[in-house]
Amino acid sequence: MKVSLVWHSPSPERVIAVAMRRCYSTKPIEEIQAELDQKGEEYWRYLLMRALQDKSLDVIEHYCLELLLEGMEKNDVSHVAMAFPFAKFMMLNEKDWLLSMNARTLIEMWRDVRFKPFAASIVEELKGRGVGLLFNSVAFGA
Amino acid sequence: MRVKLLFHTDLEAIKRVLRSKNVSFDPEKVLDHVVYMFEIEDCSRVTTHQLVRHRLASYDQESQRFSSASREGSVTPVSIQSNESALKAYDVALKAAYEGFEKLTSLGVPKEDARYVLPSAIKTKLVMTVTARSLMHIVWQRTAMQAQWEIRDLVTKMMDLAKEATPELWAKIIER
Repeated sequence: MKVSLVWHSPSPERVIAVAMRRCYSTKPIEEIQAELDQKGEEYWRYLLMRALQDKSLDVIEHYCLELLLEGMEKNDVSHVAMAFPFAKFMMLNEKDWLLSMNARTLIEMWRDVRFKPFAASIVEELKGRGVGLLFNSVAFGA
Repeated sequence: MRVKLLFHTDLEAIKRVLRSKNVSFDPEKVLDHVVYMFEIEDCSRVTTHQLVRHRLASYDQESQRFSSASREGSVTPVSIQSNESALKAYDVALKAAYEGFEKLTSLGVPKEDARYVLPSAIKTKLVMTVTARSLMHIVWQRTAMQAQWEIRDLVTKMMDLAKEATPELWAKIIER
């Protein structure tokens, strides 16, 4: 099976940091974003680690992914779709699919031994594309 | 109230994939594959209680465990604003609630407990990520005339932003 990234939330770690700061700040979004930009990636890493430690995975749902899966059997798609109802598949032909999901689901797949190889193939594609490198490193040690 | 679209799925990227697989573009079929992330500021908690009933979305909202509360940070419905006696009664009730909040915190009660006296009129801020399919369902329900004015206003703003960003998907609202 081949995984190709079609689209992702722009600057995913910053998006997660924005969602996290939204919970604790009364400021307008532009001020939160400016603060996050000023504090930089190390602070985003800190927030991400806090979210994972506290199991506040809701903030990670804003990191969305659109993927092309080529050569995936219908049965395998059914298994993933049944286990992860927030993963949405669109059939393109017998073996090719569009998959829409968020990074929370990716973490949950990674933590489930049955689906870790599938999650790992997505993480590998993200890594190859240089997408969410900070996220990959904190969430998957990849 | 202010609504801002922070980002949305690049529909062209999806269309390129469809073309590469000789699949024709059908707006209804890609509704689960397009997401919008919104920032929503200064609507009441009355409205966000209604909004989060739409469960197929991701929400992160300003927590009252950490934020402050004041009369200025409250929404006043037009039906109250336009009625002098009602506005007076409303102000008295809100003043009592906010004074109660201040009193409790000054007595050492943590904000997370003092907030129990705060009114639903209080303004709030949140981010929301939602698929086009889920947003369409929200639009269908919450822009109806029987919906309350504030959520109708909020959802209309969200719909206008989504329409502008991805007009092809919004040629018709798919009723579900």
